[in-house]
Amino acid sequence: MPLTFIKVGQSASIKAVLGKDETRKFLGSLGFTAGESVTVVSENGGNLILSIKDSRIALDRSMAQRIQV
Amino acid sequence: MPHTIALAGNPNSGKTSIFNELTGSTQYVGNWPGVTVEKKEGYLKGDKRHVVVDLPGIYSLSPYTLEEVVTRDFLLDGKPDLIINVVDATNLERNLYLTTQLVETGIPVLIALNMMDILERNGDTIQVPLLSEALGCPIIETSAVSRAGLKDLVKTAVHMVDKAEGSGKVAKFSTPVEKALLQIEHLIDTLVPPDTLRWFTIKVFEHDERVMQRLNLSDQTAHQIATIIESVEKSMDDSAESLITNDRYEYLTGITAACHKKARKMGTLSTSDKIDRIVTNRWLALPIFFAVMWGVYFIAIQSVGDLFIGWIEWFFGDLIGANIALGLEAIGTSAWLVGLVVDGIIAGVGSVLTFVPQMMILFFFLALMEDCGYMARVAFIMDRIFRKFGLSGKSFIPMLIGTGCSVPAIMASRTIENQRDRRMTVMLTPFIPCGAKLPVFALLVGAFFPNSAWIASSMYLVGILAVIVSGIVLKKTKAFAGDPAPFVMELPSYHMPRMKGVVIHMWDRGKQFIKKAGTIIAVASAAIWILQSSSWSFQLVDTQDSILASIGRLIAPIFTPLGFGSWEVAVATITGLLAKETIVATFGIVLGLGNVAEGDPTLLASVGAFFNPISAYSFMIFTLFAAPCAAAIGATRREMQSAKWTWAAILFQTGVAYTAALVVYQVGMLLFGRGL
Repeated sequence: MPLTFIKVGQSASIKAVLGKDETRKFLGSLGFTAGESVTVVSENGGNLILSIKDSRIALDRSMAQRIQV
Repeated sequence: MPHTIALAGNPNSGKTSIFNELTGSTQYVGNWPGVTVEKKEGYLKGDKRHVVVDLPGIYSLSPYTLEEVVTRDFLLDGKPDLIINVVDATNLERNLYLTTQLVETGIPVLIALNMMDILERNGDTIQVPLLSEALGCPIIETSAVSRAGLKDLVKTAVHMVDKAEGSGKVAKFSTPVEKALLQIEHLIDTLVPPDTLRWFTIKVFEHDERVMQRLNLSDQTAHQIATIIESVEKSMDDSAESLITNDRYEYLTGITAACHKKARKMGTLSTSDKIDRIVTNRWLALPIFFAVMWGVYFIAIQSVGDLFIGWIEWFFGDLIGANIALGLEAIGTSAWLVGLVVDGIIAGVGSVLTFVPQMMILFFFLALMEDCGYMARVAFIMDRIFRKFGLSGKSFIPMLIGTGCSVPAIMASRTIENQRDRRMTVMLTPFIPCGAKLPVFALLVGAFFPNSAWIASSMYLVGILAVIVSGIVLKKTKAFAGDPAPFVMELPSYHMPRMKGVVIHMWDRGKQFIKKAGTIIAVASAAIWILQSSSWSFQLVDTQDSILASIGRLIAPIFTPLGFGSWEVAVATITGLLAKETIVATFGIVLGLGNVAEGDPTLLASVGAFFNPISAYSFMIFTLFAAPCAAAIGATRREMQSAKWTWAAILFQTGVAYTAALVVYQVGMLLFGRGL
């Protein structure tokens, strides 16, 4: 299911990042790889703040929907 | 030839702080990703044999952003002798992801393991010798804030450059990938220098377009490579680049697991996360943001800022102006020269410097918001709203800065990756009322709407509305079509602001404005004064018969449909192109009142003759939107990097101004005109 289904405060393991573009590559370099654990820190109108590795990444809703967990 | 040392690292890893300490310069350091867009250079302190180049912060050597392209090109073509890789110890794995790629370029790498003090405070430990061994790179522990380890860093760097010591250990990928890499290596090893072979091989495997173009492979080789990649992708059921990304992280997890111990359990919230739970919360985010901004403007514009204005007016008018006039007269200077200096230049420059305190206080608070980490959250909160109008949340920050001055605001648009989004932001930012437009509004409100508080505030609303409508309309054109770039942004940890950094940043932005006062405005004020006091045959005449009046009369008809067709106002509109704040000064000079403030009763009465309430509002609208001041046009030109786009921006802004003012005046006269 897409990452947008995860509730604030919960963690999930990434299965895949859908799509094939520059942004996906960029997410990869930020640590969004298969098997990595990600925690939803905050949600604002579908946009998410995630905790991944030791950093916080903000994503808009459409990007978050492309991350499968 | 001096040796070159490149500073590379993730955004926000403390690179610029280290650069400042190494070179003794005072570049601004931000808690906002993307502070360094161009590379900056400086000699090592007291050592002209070594040049340090501060490269933009990047996450990898794949060119996703402008910054990454700049850094990569420099590493490959600038041939630095050493890379100092600044690594944020509190975010080890993600930072080392870049390290492994830097090592692949074959350039010796020295790691500055930064923010060790914060790591220790968190109770985490890194076994540095073990990490250094695994990566094959020397590591120096540093803290740019307490300056720990910086001497060692310089010593080791100089030593490594002199010895030309070899590079670190490259990351090992999974067997099928390594096999494919080996095959590709054999196909391209004659085309690239041997020490960069590993880097090029990996990039070819990742289908990196820029690298492919650079290598200019024969059709046969290209085909062979394509077959190799395809077979791996098929057997591993994943794209080549994501195989590399995954393997690279896996390799790093292996290393960090052995030498990095964390006190905090995975999945628990840090203090920063707890703050974010409240500050970016879906219900509280906007109210908190508006409360913060209200506080900032109350202090900067109303209470404290307003106090300073009186002092500065007194300083320039009563102290400097009056005394210089006395002094010049005492030494027998002719009356017209006294007029030029006192009523022209000093009055003009003084009227501009009046806003410096307000602007400085505003920039101080904005820098504070940036440094503590809140500004990045503002971009996140606003993204949700801005996205509806075809702009990204990152466009909001320039507009916020634009309430102070458009010049630094336009410059702040650099952090927007997508070129379309960036251009649109540069075009629309000047619609937000800047500090220099406020006195124009204050003058007209004072003359026509003395008891109405909302007329001046309505300018902000109108400005925001224009940004929104323009965003929606421009998105329909071919040049701007398409969704805004996806919003992906790293949020820095909250931390206590560092006063030194905040002040440097405030000054960096504010000085643009002061520079403007000293140059453009001084010249413009002198020019207006001369034009309004002499005729075409350069005789001293009354303003009515001056060059300025004749120019004004020539262009005034253009503004008649907008309700302000007198030559005096036409002239003020033109001088407004040089700087908005000269509009008030122009009224003062043209009406023969000398240096007057916007609240001066004689000025209010005299200005009343040129407008009625509706044309006054129409003039305010025109001033709000029309092509910005010369300094902002210059900034637009620099950021657009294209004369065509700069003209497009000017014409668009002026077109909006004319249309909006026309509608306001004509519709206004139709509805309320009778009683006037």
